[in-house]
Amino acid sequence: MHDVAIVGAGPAGMAGALQLARAGLSVVVIDEQARAGGQIFRRPPEEFGVRHGQYRPYGWARDLIEDFEEHPLIETRFRQTVFGILRDPEGQISLAVSDGQRGTRIKARRVLLATGAYDMPVAFPGWTLPGVMTAGAVQSLLKSQKLLAGRQIVVAGSHPIQLILAAQLLEAGADLAAIALARDLPGFLEMARTLPAIPGNVSIFTEALRAMAVIARHRVPLLRRTLISAVEQTGEGPLRISLRKVDAQWRPVGTAREFEADVLALGYGFTPSTELARQAGCALSWHSAGGGWTVQHDDNFRTGVQEIFVAGEQTGVAGAGRAHAEGLVAGQAIAHSLGVGADPLEVNRAQALLKSSERFAGVMQTMFEPNRTALADLSHHSATVICRCEEITSGQLEDALTCNPFLTSASAAKLECRTGMGVCQGRYCEGTVAARIAMHHNTQIAQAGHFNAHLPVKPVPLGAYGDLDH
Amino acid sequence: MANFHRLPVARGRPVRFTFEGAPVDSFAGETLATALLAAQVGAFGHTREGNPRLPFCNMGTCFDCAVQVDGRGLVRACLTDVVEGMVVNMQEIK
Repeated sequence: MHDVAIVGAGPAGMAGALQLARAGLSVVVIDEQARAGGQIFRRPPEEFGVRHGQYRPYGWARDLIEDFEEHPLIETRFRQTVFGILRDPEGQISLAVSDGQRGTRIKARRVLLATGAYDMPVAFPGWTLPGVMTAGAVQSLLKSQKLLAGRQIVVAGSHPIQLILAAQLLEAGADLAAIALARDLPGFLEMARTLPAIPGNVSIFTEALRAMAVIARHRVPLLRRTLISAVEQTGEGPLRISLRKVDAQWRPVGTAREFEADVLALGYGFTPSTELARQAGCALSWHSAGGGWTVQHDDNFRTGVQEIFVAGEQTGVAGAGRAHAEGLVAGQAIAHSLGVGADPLEVNRAQALLKSSERFAGVMQTMFEPNRTALADLSHHSATVICRCEEITSGQLEDALTCNPFLTSASAAKLECRTGMGVCQGRYCEGTVAARIAMHHNTQIAQAGHFNAHLPVKPVPLGAYGDLDH
Repeated sequence: MANFHRLPVARGRPVRFTFEGAPVDSFAGETLATALLAAQVGAFGHTREGNPRLPFCNMGTCFDCAVQVDGRGLVRACLTDVVEGMVVNMQEIK
């Protein structure tokens, strides 16, 4: 039995683990990746002979990772998947964990969910073609595995991280055919006006400006107010990527321009990974600017399930600085709930970080909220795949909505036409399905609700299930 | 066809495994996804309608990179490190 089990070794999970370990509590941290850092600090594997990656502009990342890795009270389990949260008849909570073959239960007095976020999926004609990838995929292959995806790449999205990715790809020797940003650059000028006023966040702005300079030096076409519309491929030929000019509401104006590339990197925002919270019975709330469905919590980051706390992107996607601050505060709150008080200086420091990161997060979220209706509009063609696992098309979803006038929830759509029933368990179609239901009924996306999550929240071998009894 | 290539940095010792019966050369520390992409594999598997799939998210959430490893199905290539002698096959009908 551990005092605390933490899911996710990103900035929130590492910060929380350190607070708890420093309070003398035993901590186990489980993560699917090979090393600590989370998606934001993905680094090369140990076998490549380097300890650290490039964490710019987060100067504190290096110390956090080293302190985390070196603390004797923190046990880590990498390359393992938490596939559920269980409660035995005596009320004891435990995590169901698989290493890909066998399963184990990890009992703990408290659980901290710090599972982060993933690239927000956007369905459009051709989004399932090989070579169409998320920005996070292209970036993590580059940062961690030192693999460059494609000679010729198109980067399309609306999030400022797209500019940073573009600069990283250029510096690694890629040829960028185009960078398409759905919004206008004034978004970045607004950022310039706002961010320097927020202490501690100037370096992030500097990083975006640095990326702009790299892009300008390489003379890459930077297309503003331009949205992805379709991708086609003949045989094993290049991807033919159609980009379309849009207005301020992301509505198409004018005809599409076509670009050829090996890889298309998409980044329209991030979706919090809330499946474990859902499965455990934590309540969610809709916060579009925060990435969609977020986990409800109190000021101590405690969810409605009393042993379970959350920190990081699941409370609303707000970046590494915010996740780090939330991890500190959640760690202290968990320690307190187990009867261990924190050093008042540490508490003040954590609260100060939380406060400054809140302002920055608010600015970023408001400025770069994706236009969900415009993105869902890209899926309207009847042959467009909505559910990439079960290959359910837009036409099938529309038929289900037309034939069943009382079908008003994402869960009902899942039962009626199987969208969301595949191996990704709805992570890649839920947003599109909910937005399409809202458009069909002229209601809000939040009203369509979300899919429920059940054990196992990710597919695991049957044997891993059976092992839970032992 | 996608065109993935390794950047010239220090990697682990050579690791050889097979994909669909053909040998693939890789390096310790690489994931199966990296090794197969660098080998210019055109599909990690096919959907029930026969459409090819390559990695999409590279962070363990989408399952598009699923392969069969030593007879075990639905193994995410992006979260699996290469091991000498591994027998890897395409994941059919996801």
